[in-house]
Amino acid sequence: MSAVIIIVAYFSLAVFVIVAVYRTLRVATLPVHLRWELAPVPHEKGRSHYGGSYLEEYEWWKKPRSRSLISELIYMLQEILLLRGVWEHHRRLWWFSLPFHTGIYLLIGAGALLLVAAGLDWAGAAAAGVMARAAVAVALVGHLLGALGALGLLVRRLTDPRLVAVRTAGTLFNLVFLLAVFTTGAAAVAMADRPARRLVECTQAVLTADFSAAIPGLLAVHLLLAFLLLAYLPFTPMLHFVAKYFTYHRVRWDDDPLVARPRLEGEVKELLEQPVSWSAPHVASGGGKRWIDIARELPEE
Amino acid sequence: MTLKVRDISRRPGELLDPISPEELVPLPPPYDKPEDQPGWKPINPGSSERLVCNLDGVVATSLPQPKDPEEQRRYVDQFAAGLKKLLDKNNNWTFLQPLLLSLEYCVRCQTCNDACPVFTASGGKEIYRPTYRAEVLRALVGKYAKPGGKLLARLAGNDIELNWTAISRLYELCYRCTLCRRCAQTCPIGVDNGLVTRELRKLFSQELGWAPKELHEKGTVLQLRSGSSTGMNPLVVKDNVEFIDEDIGEETGLAVHTPWDKEGAEVLLIHNAGEILSWPENPGAFAIILNAAGIDWTLASDEVGYDGVNYGLFYDDVQLARIALRHVQVAKKLKVKKIVMGECGHQHKAMVTVSDRILTGQMNIPRESCLVLLERIVFSGKIKFDPSKNDFPVTLHDPCNIVRNLGIVEPQRRILRYLCPQFREMEPHGVNNYCCGGGSGFAVMSGNNFTDWRVSVASRLKFKQILDAFADQPGPEVKKYVCAPCSNCKGQLRDLFQYYGALEKSGITYGGLVELIVNAMVDVKEPFIKWEMH
Ligand code: SF4
Ligand code: SF4
Repeated sequence: MSAVIIIVAYFSLAVFVIVAVYRTLRVATLPVHLRWELAPVPHEKGRSHYGGSYLEEYEWWKKPRSRSLISELIYMLQEILLLRGVWEHHRRLWWFSLPFHTGIYLLIGAGALLLVAAGLDWAGAAAAGVMARAAVAVALVGHLLGALGALGLLVRRLTDPRLVAVRTAGTLFNLVFLLAVFTTGAAAVAMADRPARRLVECTQAVLTADFSAAIPGLLAVHLLLAFLLLAYLPFTPMLHFVAKYFTYHRVRWDDDPLVARPRLEGEVKELLEQPVSWSAPHVASGGGKRWIDIARELPEE
Repeated sequence: MTLKVRDISRRPGELLDPISPEELVPLPPPYDKPEDQPGWKPINPGSSERLVCNLDGVVATSLPQPKDPEEQRRYVDQFAAGLKKLLDKNNNWTFLQPLLLSLEYCVRCQTCNDACPVFTASGGKEIYRPTYRAEVLRALVGKYAKPGGKLLARLAGNDIELNWTAISRLYELCYRCTLCRRCAQTCPIGVDNGLVTRELRKLFSQELGWAPKELHEKGTVLQLRSGSSTGMNPLVVKDNVEFIDEDIGEETGLAVHTPWDKEGAEVLLIHNAGEILSWPENPGAFAIILNAAGIDWTLASDEVGYDGVNYGLFYDDVQLARIALRHVQVAKKLKVKKIVMGECGHQHKAMVTVSDRILTGQMNIPRESCLVLLERIVFSGKIKFDPSKNDFPVTLHDPCNIVRNLGIVEPQRRILRYLCPQFREMEPHGVNNYCCGGGSGFAVMSGNNFTDWRVSVASRLKFKQILDAFADQPGPEVKKYVCAPCSNCKGQLRDLFQYYGALEKSGITYGGLVELIVNAMVDVKEPFIKWEMH
């Protein structure tokens, strides 16, 4: 059994990293787009609380920009840790979405603690035990919160008329999958004999690809599910934690004027040279004229 | 049975999801009884045979019925080709990144739903849900623009069919969203369903050549050809403005003079030319204020330079760029120091931000909102004001394109708090405002029964919040003013107030910001604001 889990673990991790990096790079390397900012922009110093921008300033191009990275950071932390947007606009969902996301954050933390505990254990450090017990506690809470959240979200999907109308097999499957991972995880940790020791051994077995290690049944099922989820995740919109960086920083809050970004100007000039092949008569692309020529010329009547 | 995404391509010849006035959320008295309201015009039988009407019973786009199945197939193929171009770096670099982010990362939480004034006003009609259009596009892209898409779509139970019924309904559905982006503000992921709608409109326009004639033939095409979407050529516009100067001069007892084509001027003011024809008091008031403050300003009489309208913003990147480039070329020729946008929201957005990145090098002439310049003037001490002349209830409508999209929120408010003793906010307001209902070109679209729809549905929450803002003095005996510093918003408010008889029943009228400023000027003896619907 451990061999299967270890192989699945490495496979899943590889899939996750490759697909997540691919999708991230794909978005990151897309051409610069036209400005499309949306108020409120939190880095607008002294104005973000009401959604104001530097464009309120008389002859703004003559003034230095006054940005507040702190308020941008505060906004981001509120959004990431407290799900501010869902709190403000979809409270009924927030009660479940928050424990769900908090559970995931805790599980990432528990994973990190376990790695440290495994390392300390190899080094023979006494702190390994404390670290492992902390990991167990964090993992248990994380799984319980995750399960509560996933269950609540599932119930909402099945009962809230707004969500029922648009539910798809995919959204339900994702929640059931997550619920299975969280509940098996909580049960495996809660029911294990000496869970701290078990988890450290298990981590070491995966890290060293030790196929001979014994992994108890429930924990094995949980790990199998969790790793499969890891491989599945980057193919779904659940990868939104990556997308959010771009939707916020590169779209909503990307309010720099071209005059302030000389490097961007070079990129834009290249884009204006791109051939265009839109077919409508008024575009008059001639099957591949340059973007800038199309914008400069008017089609023949 | 709840309507599904794939239903858009099914049951050809039937309405997908009919709407009627009875379904809408109620308005406060005296507008609370649907039977007392004017009702909706039926589509006349001739038109219903000629035009496609298969969405909700409303016709905004006047898409002609295809001649035969062959023509239908050709359009479907074009749509499929357009879908690929929409996702292509060369053809759509302008919005590809935000589009792909919106298509690929929606988690279907529906947090955006309640933010949408159209969806809410309709009582939650499925096709107006902010995510519906995006889900249709997502399904079409998934199935028809990705390798293995057909198989995957079948496996996922998302089997939408790309056919004439789907594309003709989707086209019409693109004109049930005002592109206000209120939904985008609330999306925790940052998905922008307003943008998705605009991208769809763009596909239809740039690939199939489909766009409402008010925006395209009578809009951008006419503007590029004759100089203005109003059809005014340079001679006519100069004539009209001269007439306004005389008229307003007589009315106010002031010498009103509009300078033209002044080389090297500090300010090139570009109005929405619709003001000159429909609300001449607005350019007249601008002239009074700028002259009284000693601003070195000018209007431009070169084609396109006297009309800030740019409907390309609503449906077509090519037309957007063409008009924006002409605006700055005119400014460059006159060697002005900056371009100031008149009271027109979409002009602000098109010129100040959206076009910014195509204005490379010398083309990037500084551009400023008139609201900012007006604030500077009002508080400069150069003009004497008597705020008691504006002692009537005033509320402020926030044009989405100036406020939510540009973050220009306070300058207009500081003016109103100073000059209007009875100024009060609507709720919600500022960047959380509701669209007037005329956004994205709706205000100028009035074919068939679309005006009835846009005033009853798209404007419904706006009308409700206006009534609520004046709830302390609801009767017609107290005259009330909705300040809407945007030409398109004013056009929509005019149609809205006329439809419901708001002036007669509630004493509510509307106008711009400059009119209130001039009304409060000590040097202007007669009231500048006329309490009439115009
Ligand atoms: S657009 Fe945003 S708010 Fe709306 S359903 Fe998708 S993720 Fe949720
Ligand atoms: S942009 Fe505005 S009208 Fe369109 S779906 Fe979003 S909220 Fe509704």
